[in-house]
Amino acid sequence: MLEVKGLRKVYRSGSREVEALRDLTFTVDNGELVCLVGPSGCGKTTLLRCVAGLLDPTSGDVRVDGKAVDGPPPGMAVVFQEYGRSLFPWMSVRDNVELPLKQKKVPKQRRGELIEQALDAVGLTGTESAYPWQLSGGMQQRVAIARAVAYEPRTLLMDEPFAAVDAQTRADLEDLVRRLWKRLKVTILFVTHDIDESVYLGQRVVMLSSSPTVVQDELVIDLPAERDQLTTRADPRFIELRTRVYEQIQTAKKNAGK
Amino acid sequence: MAVLKKTVVAVALPAVLFAGWYVLSAGSQNFYSPPLRTILVAFGDTWSVERLTADVAPSLLRLFAGYLLAAVIGVAAGVAIGLSRRLRAAVEPVLEFFRAIPPPVLVPVIMLFAGIGDGMKVIVIVFGCVWPILLNTVEGVRAVDAVVLETARSYGVTGTARITRVVLPSASPQIAAGLRQALSIAIILMVISEMFAASNGLGFTIVQFQRSFAIPEMWSGILLLGLLGFVLSLLFRLAERRALRWYEGLRAAQRQS
Repeated sequence: MLEVKGLRKVYRSGSREVEALRDLTFTVDNGELVCLVGPSGCGKTTLLRCVAGLLDPTSGDVRVDGKAVDGPPPGMAVVFQEYGRSLFPWMSVRDNVELPLKQKKVPKQRRGELIEQALDAVGLTGTESAYPWQLSGGMQQRVAIARAVAYEPRTLLMDEPFAAVDAQTRADLEDLVRRLWKRLKVTILFVTHDIDESVYLGQRVVMLSSSPTVVQDELVIDLPAERDQLTTRADPRFIELRTRVYEQIQTAKKNAGK
Repeated sequence: MAVLKKTVVAVALPAVLFAGWYVLSAGSQNFYSPPLRTILVAFGDTWSVERLTADVAPSLLRLFAGYLLAAVIGVAAGVAIGLSRRLRAAVEPVLEFFRAIPPPVLVPVIMLFAGIGDGMKVIVIVFGCVWPILLNTVEGVRAVDAVVLETARSYGVTGTARITRVVLPSASPQIAAGLRQALSIAIILMVISEMFAASNGLGFTIVQFQRSFAIPEMWSGILLLGLLGFVLSLLFRLAERRALRWYEGLRAAQRQS
């Protein structure tokens, strides 16, 4: 279980202070897929980096399975928005996926299996020896997802992973995330600024206010578990839910203006 | 066809210069600039196998010893300084000072400590070569992408693997630039240190020829030095291209998008 309690982050530079996160509390249950959505500039990435143990919060705490996070927790994988910078360009696709496994001291044979399965799961069989930059943007993000999947995480953090790919690729990748989540039974915290995406993907959507950020509202997405780009998005319930989220985000923006 | 064209373009100017020198110097009566024909004859006579092993081999050994030592020291110190802001703040002014000293000035000083043997020459080469390698490594390490480092951290790529698999490869284009600069400095310092005090070596031999007015032989030594530098930089470029193939590809891919 992922618990975020009273999380606050203030950036200091000289005498200037910027309060990015004010007071965030939410939980993600084991095996749950929760989307975090908020207006742009609301500190989503700051929040995610605190959860990933890459950034120390000013106060409050993050717990994974009851243990306080004070550095990247084992069993957690992150998919970053900037796939072009997150994949290592000097390594082949295979080496990119393998390096974290080597660090985890996974035996060689098992590494081979994990790499093959992960690349197969994201539909990239046969690209092992290619360099990431030889692939399209969507394929590169698939490599990053394969790297996360092969790592066998219990928790998967995704930071606006599809913000930089085109709309069609994006739909494919959304379905890929749903499929992998169901198959691997991992806990996923998915950060996005796209309201439709959050409703389509999540079991629950946590809406954030503008910076300094608090949790604006939470919404359970009671859509059927089988989701489909055509029927789900045309479902009246989907439209109702996305309207709810949209209104909350608008309220958040208006409040920020005051 | 393309390869042939490239070769012709690359060879054309050297060939013209060579032919020009040959023709213009053919009737030269000047004692100090003999005809190229005479120099070439001297070249064949002077640089026999014995001479190559007696004078060129020791020079090359000093060159490689100094260069490799400088590379190891420069890259190791560069990584340490590049990764630590505090260390950088402490040593940067000192580095700038040492870098500003022209290494040949130090030859007599180093001679006082290290004598006139191979050690002195290697130290001189190290002292001159280490700065471009060190400073380029520092820059390369500092420029490692923050997302790359965060990715490594979140996937447990820490300790030695972080240095060898992430930081060094990421900084390798800059490190290679430093190594390339250092190579030409190494050749210069090899010759200079041998000119000061030595009992063998290319620099020593050229000075000997000069002092004994063996002018065509002296010119042939200079020609040999030029050829040596050319071959070394060619080898370096080949090695660099192989090692940094990913970087060339990445840049080409970025230009396209």
